[in-house]
Amino acid sequence: MSVFSEYKKEIMDAAHNERIRLALSRAITSYRANTNDALKRFPHTIKMAEEVREIKAKAIGEMESLAQQAVEAIEYNRGKAYIAKTADEALKIIGELVGKGKLIVKGKSMTGEEIELREHLEEMGNEVYETDLGEFIIQKLNSRPMHILSPAIHVPKEDVAELFSGITGEKLPPDDIGRLVATARELLREKYFQADIGMSGANVVSADTGTLFLIENEGNIRLATGAPPVHIALVGMEKLVPTLGDAFKVSEVTWRYANYTVPSYVSLVSGPSKTGDIEKVTTFGAHGPKELHVIFMDDGRTELAKHPILRQALYCLRCGGCLYECPVFAVTAGHFGDKYFTGIGAVWAAMIGRNNKEKAASLAYTCLTCGRCKIRCPMEIDSAAMCVELRKMIAEGD
Amino acid sequence: MDNTGLIPPGLTYLADNITSKDNLLGVSKEVGASWAKDLSLPKEAETIFFAGCGYQYASELESMMSLIRKVDKSAIGTELTMNLASFPKKLGIDAAGIFRKVMVKGSESDAQPLKDAVKVLSNLGINVGYLGDEEPCCGGLLHYIGLQKEFARHGQQVYDRLKSRGVKRIIGIVPSCTYTLRNLMADSVDGYDLEVKHFCEVVAAGISSLELRFPREVKVTYHDPCQMVRYLGLVEEPRQILGAIKGIELVEADWTRGEWSTCCGGGGGFEAVFPELSQILAVNRVKELVETGAEIIVTNCPGCIMQLETGLKELKEDSVEVLDLAQIVAMAMEV
Repeated sequence: MSVFSEYKKEIMDAAHNERIRLALSRAITSYRANTNDALKRFPHTIKMAEEVREIKAKAIGEMESLAQQAVEAIEYNRGKAYIAKTADEALKIIGELVGKGKLIVKGKSMTGEEIELREHLEEMGNEVYETDLGEFIIQKLNSRPMHILSPAIHVPKEDVAELFSGITGEKLPPDDIGRLVATARELLREKYFQADIGMSGANVVSADTGTLFLIENEGNIRLATGAPPVHIALVGMEKLVPTLGDAFKVSEVTWRYANYTVPSYVSLVSGPSKTGDIEKVTTFGAHGPKELHVIFMDDGRTELAKHPILRQALYCLRCGGCLYECPVFAVTAGHFGDKYFTGIGAVWAAMIGRNNKEKAASLAYTCLTCGRCKIRCPMEIDSAAMCVELRKMIAEGD
Repeated sequence: MDNTGLIPPGLTYLADNITSKDNLLGVSKEVGASWAKDLSLPKEAETIFFAGCGYQYASELESMMSLIRKVDKSAIGTELTMNLASFPKKLGIDAAGIFRKVMVKGSESDAQPLKDAVKVLSNLGINVGYLGDEEPCCGGLLHYIGLQKEFARHGQQVYDRLKSRGVKRIIGIVPSCTYTLRNLMADSVDGYDLEVKHFCEVVAAGISSLELRFPREVKVTYHDPCQMVRYLGLVEEPRQILGAIKGIELVEADWTRGEWSTCCGGGGGFEAVFPELSQILAVNRVKELVETGAEIIVTNCPGCIMQLETGLKELKEDSVEVLDLAQIVAMAMEV
């Protein structure tokens, strides 16, 4: 079967899956209600989004120098920082830092998914635990994420109960969601303290101070990046903005459009843990990690930034709002996607990493070009226009 | 036309029709123009009514979609749809023509929105010309398929033809054609100077001078076509028009109205590539609209009308009908 036929079969199977549709229709209703509330409570967000759009539009053109600046800042803070030109380079750097036979606890990272980081580390002979609940479910199901923020959006509670019952050997009732969550907590708790390495991505990074912003609700990222002796962060270069002030604005707009008034936790990480409490001698690795390694990955991003229409894909804050407004996503979930989803996912498939042209074409022609995602997007990213541009590149063979 | 083999064939078929037959369905132009045969509209005028492929070939479009959907749903659907585009051509079958004959519905009822639109304009004192079988296909789909070079070439021909007929102003009825003629061509044709408006803009501007009453008390909901609301940016105009008609109560969907309107599932050629999925989306959209309790779904796009009717049929909602806004206004003028 051709890539297109295979893909079409996949999305049609999804479209006939009542459970996906049910899970999504609940998610869409609650997303819209929560976001409306959050925006009503903090109405300045809309104006702030405009400001962030300008920050991002400018930063995307300066990614290389911002990355350089961030590397210097992190090194100044006594962390280590690297610039990886390609996914392979990023995997090589991380592989060398990790080695084999290690226990790794991982926060959810779309950039990690993009380069299949977990699979790579496992192949090298490491034990890797996804600690985000949704991602943990996905890992245990051997599935792949179907939403950028809620990776297990397509998995109903019955399936989770069955999965966890299988792991614990104890019959867990699907209606007791509290117990399901507690089970995951129990399963993962000791791993944080046994782990050799904690891994994360970052939602935004300020180049001036070299500060990673990690936004979350579960608390798993705090544990995964706080308890183990080493913290490794993989960051796509599009996450860089010039200043700490810019990064705060980007963060606030991100979580608000991700349907939160404010998230439970935002961690700001700028360097390894240190103390000077004994005779003012700076010593690293007090309570937190002794080492911080940050890898800034390009992998096609600086090339993409040069394209007049497609560059806006890099403005994306990964709030996930657009996905809830896509009529195709509402019935197929992330099956309408590659590493990233829906129309904007087509741009990533085409331009980032492996340049999966046939998959990108399939996705580009799945976009309805209805334009509702743009209405939702705080960055006003025009996915319809990008898909038409991609089609042009495909059709005219540019 | 497709050098890479990556354009879904359903789309290359439609594109070939535009470039070789100058209409989306690849049928004869006289068929498309027959709706206006008794209206004696001038062929040369400064202001013309642009009817578009959607309504003029509605029967053909519907039969084609019905054929495509049947094939798509069959067991071998996934592979066959890929080839569907080429098989009617290869076998020399005029699939649309065949289905047209077996379908009960004739072109007369499909073209009602066009007749009504012309009548409404004339009641507003706006007399329009109509190019008839010489009306070009706007070619907008070429753009959405990604065939921008073809689109630019086609757009130039369209512009030249319109200019040679002395056209200065265009009133469009299909949102997509209107956007193509107003925006896409202005971007691709040098010195483009045609003034293009959608029927709704023209009617909304003149509506206050009219006494309008719908024949009965009725609840209607409005479905904003994507091209109407998010491309042409016309949100208020259709609502203003509906609001001016006595006897009509407008009931709207909670969230999915105006700029948040949900696509009917037929957009940018999507229905030709994913016929079955397109039908699922149509059903989803119809559910949102029917929940309002409306008896009539009003919209203004032949593609949306086809999709919404399909959705209603699937849901067995016999008591709800879909009408173009032009039909509603014409009905409200008759009293």
